[in-house]
Formats: sequence, C-alpha cells, structure tokens
Amino acid sequence: MPGEELTHFAVEYARSRGASYAEARHEYQIGEQMILKNGVLDALGFSEDSGIGVRVLANGGLAFASTNRLNKGDVRDAVDSAMKKAKGAARKDPISFVKEETVVAEWSVPEKVKIADVPTDRKIRDLVELDKAVHDLKLKMPARIFVMSHNRIKKLFVNSEGSEIKSYSPRIRLYYYLTVAGEGDAEQSYRNYGWSGGWEALDELRITDKVIEEAKSLQLTLEKGKKSPEGKMDLVVGPQVSGIASHESCGHPTEADRILGREASQAGKSFITPDMIGKKVGSASVNVVDDPTLANAIAYYAYDDEGVKSRRRYLYKEGRINEFLQNRETAAKLGTRSNGAARATNYDREAIVRMANTFVEPKDWEVEEMLEEVKSGVYMKSFMEWNIDDKRWNGKYVGREAYLIENGEVKHPVRKTVLEVTTPAFWSAVDAVGKDLEFEAGFCGKSDPTQALDAAFGGPTMRLRNIALR
Amino acid sequence: MEDNANRIVKKALSLGCEEAIADVYETNSFQIRFSQNQIDITNSWREQAASLFIVYEKRVVMTDIRDLSKSDEAVGKVVRIAKVSQKNPEYGGIAKGPFKYPPLAVDKRITSLSEGSDFVYSAVNAALAEGAKETAGSFLKNDQTHYLATSNGVEAKDRRADLYLSIRAMAGPESSGHGVECATHFTKFRPEKAGEKAGQIAAMAKDPKRGEAGKFDVIFEPLFLGSMADQMAIRNSAFAVMAGLSPFGKKIGKKVASNVVTIYDDATADGRGRKRFDAEGVPARRTAIVQNGILKTHLHNTSTAKIFKTKTTANAGLVGPDPHQVVLKPGDWKKEELFEECKDGVYVTNTWYTRYQNYTTGDFSTIPRDGIFRVKKGEIVGTWKDVRLTDNLLHLWQNVKALSRETHEVEWWGEVAVPSFMPYALATKIGFTRSAE
Repeated sequence: MPGEELTHFAVEYARSRGASYAEARHEYQIGEQMILKNGVLDALGFSEDSGIGVRVLANGGLAFASTNRLNKGDVRDAVDSAMKKAKGAARKDPISFVKEETVVAEWSVPEKVKIADVPTDRKIRDLVELDKAVHDLKLKMPARIFVMSHNRIKKLFVNSEGSEIKSYSPRIRLYYYLTVAGEGDAEQSYRNYGWSGGWEALDELRITDKVIEEAKSLQLTLEKGKKSPEGKMDLVVGPQVSGIASHESCGHPTEADRILGREASQAGKSFITPDMIGKKVGSASVNVVDDPTLANAIAYYAYDDEGVKSRRRYLYKEGRINEFLQNRETAAKLGTRSNGAARATNYDREAIVRMANTFVEPKDWEVEEMLEEVKSGVYMKSFMEWNIDDKRWNGKYVGREAYLIENGEVKHPVRKTVLEVTTPAFWSAVDAVGKDLEFEAGFCGKSDPTQALDAAFGGPTMRLRNIALR
Repeated sequence: MEDNANRIVKKALSLGCEEAIADVYETNSFQIRFSQNQIDITNSWREQAASLFIVYEKRVVMTDIRDLSKSDEAVGKVVRIAKVSQKNPEYGGIAKGPFKYPPLAVDKRITSLSEGSDFVYSAVNAALAEGAKETAGSFLKNDQTHYLATSNGVEAKDRRADLYLSIRAMAGPESSGHGVECATHFTKFRPEKAGEKAGQIAAMAKDPKRGEAGKFDVIFEPLFLGSMADQMAIRNSAFAVMAGLSPFGKKIGKKVASNVVTIYDDATADGRGRKRFDAEGVPARRTAIVQNGILKTHLHNTSTAKIFKTKTTANAGLVGPDPHQVVLKPGDWKKEELFEECKDGVYVTNTWYTRYQNYTTGDFSTIPRDGIFRVKKGEIVGTWKDVRLTDNLLHLWQNVKALSRETHEVEWWGEVAVPSFMPYALATKIGFTRSAE
C-alpha cells in the first residue's frame, strides 16, 4: 500500500515529539459516480484519493491533522501541527482514551463480481437499463434522477500501542428520486440502497424490481389515493419506516458523544443522559440493534477507525435503554469500554462515534397476521418527509405509500398520513414485530465539518396500537 | 500551481478533449471544536489537489486529481473513462473567456493566523457572562487558493480567506441559544458577539413549555431566515428544477414571495461566500433571483442556460449550478418595530432538519431549535419547546410582511449551507404542529 511507511513514521514521530498516544490512518479510495437525469447521463465522476490523517493526545489535549502530500516532510509538518495544537488546548480535565486490546489484523469484504473487473461502460449500461425499465412503464414522469456510485476503500490503521490493521472495503450505492404527475398533482419518492461487496449488488438487492414497484405505487397513490384518516388508531409500518425510526429515535440518541455534549452545537444533544441505562422507552417487543458485522450491509466493518473490534450492540433491549455507542474517548469518560463505533469518512476527518447498520430486531409475526387484527387503521409502507428534533424526542414521518386498513383488510391508498410523535410514544405503541427484515441505506450526517457517512437502517414490519395520526 | 492548471488543460486537449477546466486548489485551514466550555480537538488540513472537468465528444467527466505530480497520468485515465461513457445531448458548453476580474482582497492577518483558542474562549466567556452554563461550537480559519484554467481562455486566481465561529449556549437542559460570527477582515471578527447572542437567547429561554399547534405570525431571527432563504436559492438551481427537486419549475415571472422580498445570489458581496469567479471562470456578479416577490431567474451555468434559452448567471459548479452567497435585501423596519407589529405570534431563533414531502409543491417542515418565544402584543410572554414549523416554501415567503434594515451574515452547519446576509423578518399565518399527546 502506498504510504504504509509514512503511516508508521507518523506514529513514531509523534511519540518522539511527546505524544502520550498517537494513531495514523492512511486511506486510498477509488470510485466512480454516475448521475442519470431524465434518461441522460448528466455527468460521470471519477475519484482517486489518498492521504494520511494523524491524531495525537498530548498534555491532555487532542488534535488531528491530515495531508494528501505523501512525503516525509509534509507528514512531519502535520504531526508537528497536531502536537502544537494538542499541547495548547489547555484543558482543565485531560482527555484520555480507555485501554483497548492491541490488534494486528487484516480484513476485507469479498466481491463475487469484482468492481474493478466491471468496465465503466457496463456500469453505465446497467444504470441506463434500470432507467429504461421505469421509463417503459409509460407513466407521466416529468423527472427522474438515478445516482449510482461505487467506492473501494483501502485503509491502514497504526497506533502507538502496537495495533496495525489493514482493510479493504468495496461499497456500492444507488439512490433515486422519481416524480409521477397527475392532473395538477404529483407524487414523489426517494429511495436509497447500499451494499458492501461487488457488482453483484444490483441483482442481490433486486433493484430493478424495487424501482418498478415504487413507480407503480406512485401512480396508484395519485390515481386512487384518498385523504388519510385522522385520530387515534392502529398503525402498521413497513421496514422503511421502522428502519428510519431505529436510526433517528434510537441510534442517534444513544451516541455517547452526543449524550456528553460534544455534538451539541451541530447534530445536537440527546434526551438520554448517562444515568438512563435501563430506563424504559418502549414496549417489551422492542429490540433495536446496531451491528457493523452484518455481511453485505453498506456499513460493514470488522474493526473501527480506532482499531477496536466491531460487534453487535443492543441499544434498546426489551424496550429499555441498554447500551450507548462508544469510542475510546467517550468510554473513558463514562467508565466503560469502547464498542467499536468510531468511524470517519476519509483520512482527512477525525473518527467520532457513529452508527453502522441500525435496525429493529425481527420477531415472528407475519405481515398478514398483524394486519388482520387491525379493525381500523393505516398501513404506512414508506415515508417521504421526515425529521426529528436535535434531542431526538419529537419525530415526524409522513407517509409516501400508505393504505387504509378496515377490518383486517388493506383498502385504497391514503395520502400524506402524518405521524408526529415522541420517541417513547412511538416505541411504547409497538405490540407486534414481523420477521420481514429489510434494509435501506442513508447518508448519516454528523460532526463538523459534516461527515456524511455510509449507514444502513432497517427493520421488519411493526404494528403500533392506538396512535394519533393526521 | 498556476502552471499546473494550464498544464492539465493542455494535456486534456492534447488527448482529444474539446473542452477542459482545471481548478488547482490549495487549502491551509484549521478548526477548533469545543464543548462543555473546553477545547475538544483541533483539526488541521493542508491539501493540494485539482478538480478537472473534461468534455470528450459531448461526454462529460469530472475528477479530482489528488497527486499533482502525476497529473498527466490522471488526465490520461479520465480521458480513457470518457471514451467509454455516454454522450450528453443536453450539454451546452462552457463560457468563453478571457474575463476581467476585480482585484484580489485577502486579509493577511487571517492568512497568517495559526492560533484560535483565544477566539474560542472569548466567545465561551461572553456566553457564560450572559447566564449560560455550558457552551459548544467550533472556530474555523479558512484559507483556500484557487488557480483556474479553461480551454476557453480563462486563467484566473482567487484566494478565499475568512474566519468563522459558531457557538451554542445552554442555560439549562432545555434552554439554549445559538450565535455565529463570520468575517473576511481580521479586525471585524468579534467572536464575543456570537457568544453574547447565544448566551442571551439561552438565558431568555428559561422554563420552556410545550408549544401550540396552529397558525401564527412569526418573527424570524436572521439565522433561521438564512435556512429558508437558502432553500429559495438552492431550489432555484437549474439542476434542481430539471430534476424535479424544486417548486419553482415554470414559475419564472410569477409571484413566489411577497412584494417586500428581493433575494440575490451575490458572490461580489464581502462575505464568506465571496468569489472572483464561478467554476467556468465567469466573473462573480449579483443576480436577482426574486425581485419584489417575482421569480426572475433560476441559477445557471453556460450549459443549463442554453437549455433554458437564457444566459449564464455565473453560478457554475462542476456538476450543476450552485448559489454562492444569498443576500436578502433589507427592509426599512427597526427590529423593535417588527416585534411591536407582532400581536399574536412566535419569535424563532434557529432551525434544523428541513425536509420536503414533495419538492415540486414545496410542502415541507423544519424544526425550530434553541430559543422559541411566544409573543403577544409585541412582548415576549413565554418560551416554547417541542414544535415544528410545517408549511409550504412559497406560502412562507408570500406571507413575509416586513423586513428589518439591520442585517447579519449567517452560515451554520448544514442548515444555512450557503453563506447569507439576512435581516429579521415578520411573516404572517405560518403553520406550527407538534407531537400528539
């Protein structure tokens, strides 16, 4: 790997300058991005990027510096800059990292069809064919945008405790916006899919089938959609909705750096405080986990960007707050261990606490069983508008594809069902959890400068009882 | 670096490209992040790279060249990729130079700055003096140099150097305020002002009660209004309009805001969004997007302008047109007069997480954060929490009744993504919703 020697040099040099801890991360990322707008390849982007980021602890201060000039002089300058700023931080309470195991390891994600072996024109053709399949539906579709990208990431992580981890992670992402128009009216959809692995992704994810289903559903909503009922009733939510709720109202509030206030000025704080482990926030049916070890999920990793082995984390267990997402800094502050949640988007960003693949753990209900027990309610399969406040208490999900349920039967589509609800009210209303686990991908935004990071969120269909809808 | 830009363009042309743009840039910036009134980390960046845009037989390809010593090799690679790409029949070319530009204006006291912790503690202490107990935020020294060369005769240099501080102050678990400070001149940088602002709002926002749903008159703090104005600019990118990600399609010449609203994209204004030229080298200018409530233009590069049968507005980014700096023309009201005019309303100071149900209609919601104040008969009578502004982008701007003469430069993490100059505003009948009981 180019830069390997410099990565070791950065750590050794930082130690020689008095760092109590030092780590260096060399990353090489190569990828392409295709933007297909209304059937026309608007632009093709090619990227090849490499550099080294160095993080040091000195005199209780923490500093990070990066450079893409891979020579000894510039790496030395980066270390000198970080050391000077760490020493100048003048903190009253010094920053420390919790002790973790020294690791020497190498991991990689297998590709059934190597991305590097698929010619660019074949990738473009695959995307154009996807667009054509939608276009051939002959719907009135004034706008459609498909963005497909792939990125292959090679990393070398070295720290002053003797850890040395090499990795290779190929990732593919496809997201799109579709607009279907009616008479003076329109419906829009945004979906986002991701994969760790090779070019087999498009088949494995059944992308074409899913996009066609979505386009037909937009048309159906336009043609047959009626006003959504209002008031308290039962709500059955599809995997996309349970997935976004797991990310927004469980994953984010259990990030330890947010709980400790380090993100207060940007991504915000949390309704959870450090003493709330064990506190009830949902029904006993609710387990929400974050798991970087899921094969082929877009946020798969074996070791995090601090060299800590990844593992499944039960964030909410049986409706109670169970565990926070931790890196070495937050774990030291909270007197616990890191659970391998430190990640960065590239060599030029510090690794902070992040979610990976967050989802509601499936149980044993069939979707039909959940529906047939609903006398009156709404089946919200997907959403379009969503947001949540910065303490992660008040969330909102507005239905994209939704149907009326009457006496256990799914009836006509309903439009813009609004679920505006607090986090505990949402999770406490869950009385049945399905087995149909599905994932979608997202760009999780956090940190300053913003690090839009690969994340997956998912879940099965869930039933919520007696919840207010508009 | 200047030579690099020219060499990259010449190399691309020698390999058969009909057009090429190279933007060689150097970054020498640092940032201090802080929370709990202490410095968490300092981030430093030293980068040198080039953005390259090429057109090969109407095939458009973009890349970043990170290792300038291997630029010939990188150009060769990207041209090979272009050869197997697909033609873009909509592509309409880049601007023809050369152009003349205003003189470079960079404050050397900013470019030579290597420390920032005093600024941080100045802001923190100002917030604490106002009654805050806890603060968090970031300070940024930004220094970027750009050398642009194009196959259409442009050779230009820009250096963009500025200072920025963002601070959130907390006076209690649910009482917070936010302040920002931006400067392109060292002597005008007053981080303590941002601290004071954040601290004052936090101290005012004590004992918040759950807010009400309904329609209210609203006084917007410039930081909040910057988010709404950003949406007016971003959604007017010709790319967004063509992609169905805008409510402004087919609305040129139509009323999209009230008469008092004039919104410019203005890269000539002396702020953090100042630029000498756009990504094609077209000199920066002031473009009225909305004038007295009428939509005058979308934002264009040369290529999108041809599609819309108009001229570039000097908003080229390498992918599509982007706003540089949003300026809302101030009104003639005093801030106090806006409050006096607000008989039954809400004063909102910051927001985040603006999301649309449908971009083509402009139906959206956004979540006010930090101080949210109930106003009756011009007086603040209480503090709210847990509400959501749920409305329509065009309806919101059509209901702006008055703007202050006082304006502030604002920019904030993700939400006010484009540097902006904003007054205070009073709007009527704006929708609020809240979580169900």
